[in-house]
Amino acid sequence: MGSPVFPNKATHEGVRRIGMPRALLFYRYGSLWTAFFESLGCEVVLSEPTDKGTVARGDALSNDECCLASKAYLGHVAALLESGACDAVFVPSIANVGLHRGFCTKFQALPDLVANTFADKHVRVLSCLVNEREEKTGMKEALIGVASQLGIGPREAKRAWKAAAHAQTQAERFAVARQMRALTTLERAREAAHIGRSTTSTSHNAEGEAGAARANGPTAMIGGGGAGPRMAAAANARAAFNKGRVRASKEPLGILLAAHPYVAHDPYLGGALVDLLERMGATVLFTDETDRKRALQASFGFSNTLPWIVNRELVGSLMLLHERVDGIVLVSAFPCGPDSMTDDAIVRCIQGKPILNLTIDAQSGTAGLETRVESFVDILRYQRKGGYVHAADD
Amino acid sequence: MPQTTDRMPEPASNRTPSPATAHTAEPEPISASGRAAEHPRERVDPLRTVGDARSTDEVRGARVVLGDGGRGPFKLLPSRPRRERSAKRDRHARTRVAFFRYSYYDIAFKFFVEHVLDADFVALPKPTRRTIELGSRHSSDMVCAPFKHILGDYIEALELGADVLVQFAGPCRLGYYGELQESILRDMGYEFEMLNFATVTGKPLTEYISICKKKVNPNVSVPHGARNMLAVFKMIECLDEANDFYLANAGFEVEPGSFERAREAYFADMREATCERDIAEAQRRGLDALRALPVRKPAQPVRVGIVGEYFTAADPTSNLDLERKLLAMGVELHRSLTMTNRNLRHNERNLRASIADYVTYNMGPTSSLTIASALRYAQEGFDGVVHVKSSGCTPEVDCVPVLQRIGRDTGMPLLYLSYDSQTSDTGLDTRLEAFYDMLAMKKEKTR
Repeated sequence: MGSPVFPNKATHEGVRRIGMPRALLFYRYGSLWTAFFESLGCEVVLSEPTDKGTVARGDALSNDECCLASKAYLGHVAALLESGACDAVFVPSIANVGLHRGFCTKFQALPDLVANTFADKHVRVLSCLVNEREEKTGMKEALIGVASQLGIGPREAKRAWKAAAHAQTQAERFAVARQMRALTTLERAREAAHIGRSTTSTSHNAEGEAGAARANGPTAMIGGGGAGPRMAAAANARAAFNKGRVRASKEPLGILLAAHPYVAHDPYLGGALVDLLERMGATVLFTDETDRKRALQASFGFSNTLPWIVNRELVGSLMLLHERVDGIVLVSAFPCGPDSMTDDAIVRCIQGKPILNLTIDAQSGTAGLETRVESFVDILRYQRKGGYVHAADD
Repeated sequence: MPQTTDRMPEPASNRTPSPATAHTAEPEPISASGRAAEHPRERVDPLRTVGDARSTDEVRGARVVLGDGGRGPFKLLPSRPRRERSAKRDRHARTRVAFFRYSYYDIAFKFFVEHVLDADFVALPKPTRRTIELGSRHSSDMVCAPFKHILGDYIEALELGADVLVQFAGPCRLGYYGELQESILRDMGYEFEMLNFATVTGKPLTEYISICKKKVNPNVSVPHGARNMLAVFKMIECLDEANDFYLANAGFEVEPGSFERAREAYFADMREATCERDIAEAQRRGLDALRALPVRKPAQPVRVGIVGEYFTAADPTSNLDLERKLLAMGVELHRSLTMTNRNLRHNERNLRASIADYVTYNMGPTSSLTIASALRYAQEGFDGVVHVKSSGCTPEVDCVPVLQRIGRDTGMPLLYLSYDSQTSDTGLDTRLEAFYDMLAMKKEKTR
């Protein structure tokens, strides 16, 4: 396999169809990686979105102490290998992008984990090392190294990097803008509801009923449609659905979903939860869709030595947004190492906002989830009305 | 060759608090300054409407928590008022420094505190059931077992009057231990300083010195300290050398308990050492005493290697006296994971070069050492290897597929042990006995 820092030149020459497991850090660097390989002229073969089968297969392949998200990852790799649609699977080893900007050791170990788990299948792993602290190789250097393994020269690789970095920035900016829009909509709706409430309270029934009828109008159509959008629904469909819902509920709820991107945006792991919240009329905001730089910066106000960048962004985003939402749903995949430490710290330190702390594991159905989320949303609604908790303050 | 892929029983599935846990009196946190301690973690309880992790009997925790605003800003360590006892050179009271318990290395820690930091060392008594109960009660359920052990140690140290606690840095969850433990202990009401080396990782050596001056002793002498630091390293190497000899031979002692007694005497001797010469002399005496003990060693003893996670593999309290149990069966033991091998003589690149057939990248703090030693043991014809880790230790969990492959390729049996704060002693006995029987039978057959 060659040395991790100076990979043998062109060991993977001729590989043109690159398998990309749709799991773990794909949800963070997906745009970057896809754009990079595509502008190198490679074909990116993305695995299908996670479903029950993927997780079951990954579960069978991994040690039972692995976290659910990494089990799903192995399921995705297995699916890619089985489909035979790719020449090699791209599995980078990502240690850190600077001091106190590290990743869970799982991401360091992934290439070797894949290589050893699928040792009999003769898997071809296309890999690189991202370790800025010790090796001074950032994502850029690492990817240019990957290009050279593919037999592509540095000039072309650098051009591809430029395109990739641009795509990544665009994607992040898009997500941030969408989040900001949702937040503004939420706050406007909240204001409107507040004004509406004070007018109804002065001029009683008639207007109040009319207002309710008006508000119910659009919902009846969407809500009548049945179960609402399923997990695979595109984000904009979700936003449109949301808008109707927010207008419908007199007291719009903003819920911040604090989870690693590969849990929050994975249709199987976090998708059911997001759906559930939206079906109850909440606007769901994501911690990983806040401006990453600002969130990272803010997180240093919470903790000096927190080693993981993904958790840093989560905490920083909580710091930036927790005043503006009604409640926080803190989710982690069982058993997540970094979360085992930070979840507890967050729950202990954050004040004044209710937090629902959930752990998703392979066995859990959505039934247990539903009752919990429902009761949490009820708590939030009750609190918006003056509630039992800060009743004295209001 | 059958391959044992045993695991400890999953204790999480029925985690009802045992009567012992439920009824032990709430510890009275007596802070160093004597301030009455209140319990902010208890205050949020009434609102834990569903599934308080402590009281439900399911793995998947779900809880609703709402702080009452009493804790202050959203910060792990809210800034504190300036302490009255400011560290002035002329009126500095000697601080009392405590480490966590870690196998026999408390001897080196003591030397470090007394001769490098020039402060008093708080020696902790042998850990008890209460230690781990304290630690588990105040930490999150899912955090790794060493965190709970160390937190329990810290609480006991503070009860004994320590005013500085020391924590290391590490590339896994260990890197976050210090700050989180400090936060938990402060929320419990304790007053202390934390010498947390994670706050200065990646910074120049001068930062290490200045943090020691700030937190422990403003009069730390650099030349003196540097010389004694080398003595600390020497001492760690000596301790590991003597222990390696003990592990290899204690299983065959003629007089039961003789090795244990000699080792204890040696440790006591080493504990008294105050300079490099003392260390060398204690070492010579100790090794002589150990070597003089009669042994009855067969020509081809059953040889077992121990590899695994930094804390659990080396600490007898954490691994429920794994080594003593194996020695009692008459096994020659080798443990590669020592501070000498991991900290002082660690060469990541060379280790990884030796396992290039299996692994390309660094997988975490002790992974390369674990895999390289397991492979080396296999190549040297050991009868088996025991892989020891705390439950859920990510880097070591990731080693398991590699170790399984090594086991397949070399035909060497491996026993995988995963510890958590509730792992039972008898469960371990059964597994070790079965493993030993298997090794012994295999040896008999191939003879």
